[in-house]
Amino acid sequence: MRPLQQSEQSVTSVLIWDLPLRLFHWAMVLVVCVAAVTGYLFEDWWLDVHVWAGYALTALLLFRLIWGFVGSYYSRFNSFPLSIGGVRTHLFDLLRGRSDPKEGHTPVGAWMIVLLLTTLIGLVVSGFVVWGGQENNGPLASVISYGVGKGVEDVHEIFANILMGLIGVHLAGVLVETVIFKHDLIRAMLTGEKQVVPSGKSTAGLKHSVIGIVLFTVIAFGLTYWINSASRANEVAALDQIYKQACGECHMAYHPSLRTQSAWDQLMQGLEDHYGEDASLSDEVAQTVRTYLKDNNALNFDTEAAHKIGRINTPSLRITDTRFWQKKHDDFKDADFRHPAVGSKINCIACHKDAETGRFDDASIKLPKGIKYD
Amino acid sequence: MIKPFIVALGLGTVAFAGPVQADTILPEYEAQARAADPSFSGFSAERGQAFYLKDHATGKAETPSCTTCHMGNPTQAGRTRAGKTIAPMALSQTPDRFQDVKKVEKWFRRNCKSVLGRECSPQEKGDFITFMKTQ
Repeated sequence: MRPLQQSEQSVTSVLIWDLPLRLFHWAMVLVVCVAAVTGYLFEDWWLDVHVWAGYALTALLLFRLIWGFVGSYYSRFNSFPLSIGGVRTHLFDLLRGRSDPKEGHTPVGAWMIVLLLTTLIGLVVSGFVVWGGQENNGPLASVISYGVGKGVEDVHEIFANILMGLIGVHLAGVLVETVIFKHDLIRAMLTGEKQVVPSGKSTAGLKHSVIGIVLFTVIAFGLTYWINSASRANEVAALDQIYKQACGECHMAYHPSLRTQSAWDQLMQGLEDHYGEDASLSDEVAQTVRTYLKDNNALNFDTEAAHKIGRINTPSLRITDTRFWQKKHDDFKDADFRHPAVGSKINCIACHKDAETGRFDDASIKLPKGIKYD
Repeated sequence: MIKPFIVALGLGTVAFAGPVQADTILPEYEAQARAADPSFSGFSAERGQAFYLKDHATGKAETPSCTTCHMGNPTQAGRTRAGKTIAPMALSQTPDRFQDVKKVEKWFRRNCKSVLGRECSPQEKGDFITFMKTQ
């Protein structure tokens, strides 16, 4: 009885997880939830929220990677019990229904953190590439082509699915530890304290709280600065005024990047019977319009709209006959297009507020009141 | 004594500039109409109204009448087939209508071809504008 009593006496509350690490963990939970919900469930026009979550995730990850070297003992990567032998022993113990309380991470838990962080890095990096290439936005817009961004979208989705799987395993692990082995890991991640026999290794304290918060603030400001200075509105040019007046009086003036040069030529040749109306122009204006269309046609732009709509020729020359257009609008009913605020399918600007720039950013979609997406 | 005179002259010029421009287009059409038909006896708002409301249907199938886009009541805004709003044709609602000769000629040329399948005569154009001035 005596030795047992002694060991019971020496079990005390020890601060294992420093405050910055705990804040990181719960901020991560929140941000990943926002990113996952907007990424998996919401429509395209929630993309800006998704991207903000991605930026926040980036700041948190950068913090965690540095914290892995300068944080308190159990936050540092070199304290992670990653040896294969340790993992094997731990797994056998678990299968036999045993799990001793650990001050820091268990071997399996440590590997889970490594996998989670690696996946999150992949997710964030691929996110930046898709955002820059496919959507022509963010700090990488000027360096990543549309094609690369489009290709990496699949990679981003794979990382997202892996992350969902890992989170599932992570939660299952916490559940097992909490319910079966009565190790209150959730409480430990809230208070930072565990009931253990102190080994004297933990160094968490006020010093780390201060350093961590200063470090995170510096990272957040630095990242914001980089995003703001590297992000430039790429591929935006105000419509030529003569063009806008010549072509924007009956319908909105379409950005030249929405059609190829051959399509524009064909259209300009048929202005006397332009979808059932005479839309002929004086020779002088027509020449100016032709030059403008040629200089800014779909092949000269690297936007998603130029690739998926502009470069696709249709016999009718209509934008609305492209498969991409139809796929993106197939949830809308004919009545939606007849809505007074819309008028017709060819009035892009009714919902795409940036239509005249040719960008068609997802974040610029604002549906008029009364139109639902389902 | 000279100063008020200059001011009065200036004001007179300003007051004169607007109406002069607005009324250059009708005399122009009147001269053309007279040249085409020596018995021409002036524009008529009634003829203009009938022309505006008539179902011509001799042009493109999509646009049988002026009212296809401009609506039956010219004091109300019209709507293009593409869904864009057209300011009312009535001068009382859109005072700067029929001022820019180039613009007026461009739209008569296009829309007459669309609706009638031919260009409008100077008399038809003059009647149309005369009607819109009464609205």
